[in-house]
Amino acid sequence: MRLWVAGILMLAAVGLWIVLGVRGKESVVPEAARTQAAQSQLPVLGSVVAPLPEGPGKSIAERTCLPCHSGDILRQQRLTEKQWTAVLTKMAGWGAELSDSDRVVLMPYLVSQFGPENNRFQPAAVRPIQP
Amino acid sequence: MAVLSTLVPRRILAAVESMAPSGRHLLQMNAFATDAETPLDALTTYITPNDLFFVRHHWVPAIPDPASWKLTIDGEVSRPLALSLEELKQMPRAEATCVLQCAGNGRALHRPIVPGVQWSYGAVGNARWTGVRVKDLLERAGVRGAAQHLHTFGTDKPPMKVPPFYRSLEMEKVLADGIIAYEMNGEPLPALHGGPARLVVPGWAGDHWMKWLDRLSPQAKPQNGFYMDVAYRYPNEPGEPGVGKKPDEMHPVTELFVKSNITQAPSTVRVGSTATLRGFALSGAPDIAKVELSADGERWEPAHLLPDHDPYAWRLWEHAWIPTQPGKTQLFVRATDSRGSVQPKDAVWNQSGYLYNSWHSVSIEVTG
Repeated sequence: MRLWVAGILMLAAVGLWIVLGVRGKESVVPEAARTQAAQSQLPVLGSVVAPLPEGPGKSIAERTCLPCHSGDILRQQRLTEKQWTAVLTKMAGWGAELSDSDRVVLMPYLVSQFGPENNRFQPAAVRPIQP
Repeated sequence: MAVLSTLVPRRILAAVESMAPSGRHLLQMNAFATDAETPLDALTTYITPNDLFFVRHHWVPAIPDPASWKLTIDGEVSRPLALSLEELKQMPRAEATCVLQCAGNGRALHRPIVPGVQWSYGAVGNARWTGVRVKDLLERAGVRGAAQHLHTFGTDKPPMKVPPFYRSLEMEKVLADGIIAYEMNGEPLPALHGGPARLVVPGWAGDHWMKWLDRLSPQAKPQNGFYMDVAYRYPNEPGEPGVGKKPDEMHPVTELFVKSNITQAPSTVRVGSTATLRGFALSGAPDIAKVELSADGERWEPAHLLPDHDPYAWRLWEHAWIPTQPGKTQLFVRATDSRGSVQPKDAVWNQSGYLYNSWHSVSIEVTG
């Protein structure tokens, strides 16, 4: 288990290193830039980790969600408060550490950042890992 | 024994060693657990290359070491087995070229919006899978008549209190078509895709295709647990979009639904000249009977099906469309499979976003 957690932390660290150090703000390549991507060097699958958006609740989201997920899974959701409530209940049951006071801050963050109007997510164009 | 490892070293190596410019790319949905789909315009060949094949992981996987990996067979058998990869390879080889599609492919297109990985079109591919027939293996183990369900287990272990991804499927299907694949398109099955070995269930959705397979157990009853009793279930009857159903009003996702996608189309074409459109069509039935295109959803023109085919593989198609009127035109495609199922205009909404198969369309500007 400890090895496994270390693995995740290492992956996150490497991803962040590549995002911050190599890719700068181009960590997420928009769909429209695909043809340009063909001529450029793409990040490798799994090496691009987009940060969570700023806002109250960000640090709770990082602490609660990112041990098991990259931020992408949050960034691509477009859920109502009812749907987010169901997700949080499921995740708390599966071991996410979430106090009642955390939940009071986290819910508005999730609903405002990743609600039905959220359209920030674009999949990142990445270089396939060679088999 | 499974080696606890992440893909980190592999990724670092790949990042350092393969920096040559290339247009080949995947669309990453999640860095970890890793999920990535194939761009639709890269799904133009009968066989989808391994490096462009979509990737779907529930968790950071524990990838077995092929040298020490064993496949255990227990349960309703008279001769329990534990076979190494080499021992598996000494058995008669079996092969199937067929579609693997994630049950959630197209989830992002359901309305109202549902939670989960927001796949669009590319969590699908067609590959040649080589390995051993499940039937041969279970017969070698002396499977008993009482066994009605094959319980399947892989080495990926969930974090915290997340339930394990244990599954089962009907013996009738897996004995007829199932393969334990250790090769994908002639190469050792990549670790990203479940190597050393995974289950292949032609015609059925990817949730049955257990990756990093290490145990098979024929049993009288289906497997229990979250991934059988709650997740990967589909409504028995269509309901009102946006209104969820209870697990007992649904059944496990099994066969794929008939669907077709357009992978190549011009953005503009002149009236009277030919626009060539291409795509693929697939189903849980063994073949596709026809693919049709329409500009109004009422009058349909048949597309030409290309000859490459194997049972449960996709069919590539092409169509020469000659527009008669200028203006922006939306062209729809729909497929009909060999059992007569016709792709619907609108997929059945379900709360987990499985098996999306609404008509696909492209918009083409017709100039005068």
